Amino acid sequence: MNETPNTNKADPRRRGLAGAKMSRAFKYILLGVALLAAIAPVYWMVTISLKTEVDQFASPPRWFHFAPTLEHYYDAFFTRSFAKYLTTSLTVAGLSTICAVTLGTLAAYGLARFKLRGKLDQRLSLWILSTRMFPPIVTAVPLFLMMRDLRLLNTIGSLVIVYTALNLPFVVWMMRGFFRELPRELEEAAMVDGDSRLGALFRVILPLVTPGLAATAVFCLIVSWNEFLLALVMTQTDASMTLPVGIAGRVTQYEIKWGVMSAAGVVAMFPILAFAMAVQRYLVRGLSLGAVKG
Amino acid sequence: MNVRFKEVSKRFGDSVVVDQLDLVADDGEFVVLLGPSGCGKTTTLRMLAGLEDATSGNIFIGEDRVNDVPTQKRDIAMVFQNYALYPHMTISENIAYPLKVRKIERGEIDRRVNRVAELLEIGALLKRRPRELSGGERQRVALARAIIREPRVYLMDEPLSNLDAKLRVQMRGELKRLQHELGTTTIYVTHDQAEAMTLAHRVAVMRAGKLQQFDAPMTIYNRPANRFVAEFVGSPSMNFIEGRVDHSARKFASDAFTLDLDESHLARLSGCDRITLGIRPEHIEVSTTEHPDTLAAIVHVTELMGNETIVFLRTGGQKIIARASAEFRAEFESRVFVKFETDRMDFFDPDSGLRV
Repeated sequence: MNETPNTNKADPRRRGLAGAKMSRAFKYILLGVALLAAIAPVYWMVTISLKTEVDQFASPPRWFHFAPTLEHYYDAFFTRSFAKYLTTSLTVAGLSTICAVTLGTLAAYGLARFKLRGKLDQRLSLWILSTRMFPPIVTAVPLFLMMRDLRLLNTIGSLVIVYTALNLPFVVWMMRGFFRELPRELEEAAMVDGDSRLGALFRVILPLVTPGLAATAVFCLIVSWNEFLLALVMTQTDASMTLPVGIAGRVTQYEIKWGVMSAAGVVAMFPILAFAMAVQRYLVRGLSLGAVKG
Repeated sequence: MNVRFKEVSKRFGDSVVVDQLDLVADDGEFVVLLGPSGCGKTTTLRMLAGLEDATSGNIFIGEDRVNDVPTQKRDIAMVFQNYALYPHMTISENIAYPLKVRKIERGEIDRRVNRVAELLEIGALLKRRPRELSGGERQRVALARAIIREPRVYLMDEPLSNLDAKLRVQMRGELKRLQHELGTTTIYVTHDQAEAMTLAHRVAVMRAGKLQQFDAPMTIYNRPANRFVAEFVGSPSMNFIEGRVDHSARKFASDAFTLDLDESHLARLSGCDRITLGIRPEHIEVSTTEHPDTLAAIVHVTELMGNETIVFLRTGGQKIIARASAEFRAEFESRVFVKFETDRMDFFDPDSGLRV
């Protein structure tokens, strides 16, 4: 009877150590599984893009041993129009991200800092958010008709406008949250010090929300880059087609060009990856810690 | 440059935050706005800064009506309660900011930054960032940023309240010295009556948006305009005893005790019936032996402060606080005798609270 409580006393400590080891091992296993799930399709795509058509359909699949070839890349970017699709995609995604982030940030600042009569600022914010509450396909037909009347079908302009509109609510809500976290006194101090409100925004507030701005821009870029449905509706010509539409176009009645699609897919990954890596250091929060209070 | 508020009011929806404020701070004067939280003192300061619009009335800096002048054009400097240093800039950039936005030439900026940094003894911090600084250091940087220019008015919104007690007393002294040397009109907001008393040339006591009294600190202390001012200024607070004036017996009579009144009291109190007697703790003598004209009281508790002893007493149902010498000792519930310095007594109308 005496020993039981003793072992009970010693046990939790040992269990604690072992438990910590167990839970760490479990964490790594979980991470490994998640990593595998994320990487496997990418690996599959990359290898397919490098395989000859014979190797692509080999059964059982040739995971590692195959004769690599760049023929699909050559096919996609030199004989077909994928190089054109790529520049279109880059232009559209880049321009629409710049537009959405610029307009959205200014709107968000206004909504975060100014109180309007009858809680209009809050109602306005909610209304902006509500434009994202229905599936995008609902807007496809009206947008198509509008763009047709504006004679913007099959132009890069139509996609820039549509993607800007698509991303705006997101930018407004994200940036509004970041602005609200900053103490009002910061821009008040800047204005007392002799700066205009816009000057305070650019010199004091924006440098402090750079991490938020970077995260928001990455998200906008990803959405615009990957968007398929509206691009399919708005553009039919080779000159105005984006990568996702171009890639999907290789699925035809007679054959599916797996090699070309994969090669284009691999290339399509890189711009986003590069941008995300470039802004990675801004994605780290905490610059504004210690701004106020003693 | 003087600062004038003319019948200035501020309403947020239905609530009146500042009510018909009339206040003039003379050129070079250190004016402290004192009051409990929510009395409108910070709103008053923010209206002067242009961070809030006045609902009605006029605000002047010098001869200029500034109601419609945007903050950045008012030529003021302000120290915020939380300092509001720019976290992404170095200390040197923080201090230089007011000059930089005015496009002053680089060499001149450097010279002036170094000069104020020297004045406030923060020269060693110039390359650091705000988050690396202690509260006291940040406070100095905020001050440096305010005084690097020569604005028409300094505004300070509880600049010492985030410091620990010891540092606060030290900075209080330095602030007073600095203001004296710069000679610039300063409007300072605080809820700490000790800060108000020590810093101000004149104190404006506010309550619920209304100015209660605007006078030199000693006048505020010795001749409070009403019961609120009397109670708010001074620690421990003034004693208040409700009672009646018995003109024929020449006495003040409360439920707890009666006091003889002299000719001057009776003259002041002619026509009064119900009255509130106010007397500060230091004007009540406590002794363990009975003398003529003393009242018996029971000791509730004593607090030894080192330089003095605060004695909490009750006589009848009335609680009284008295200040005694550092040597004074008394047991709980022991019987002592108190004597009011009758020439230091104040009287207030129990309904309006006004001093009689």
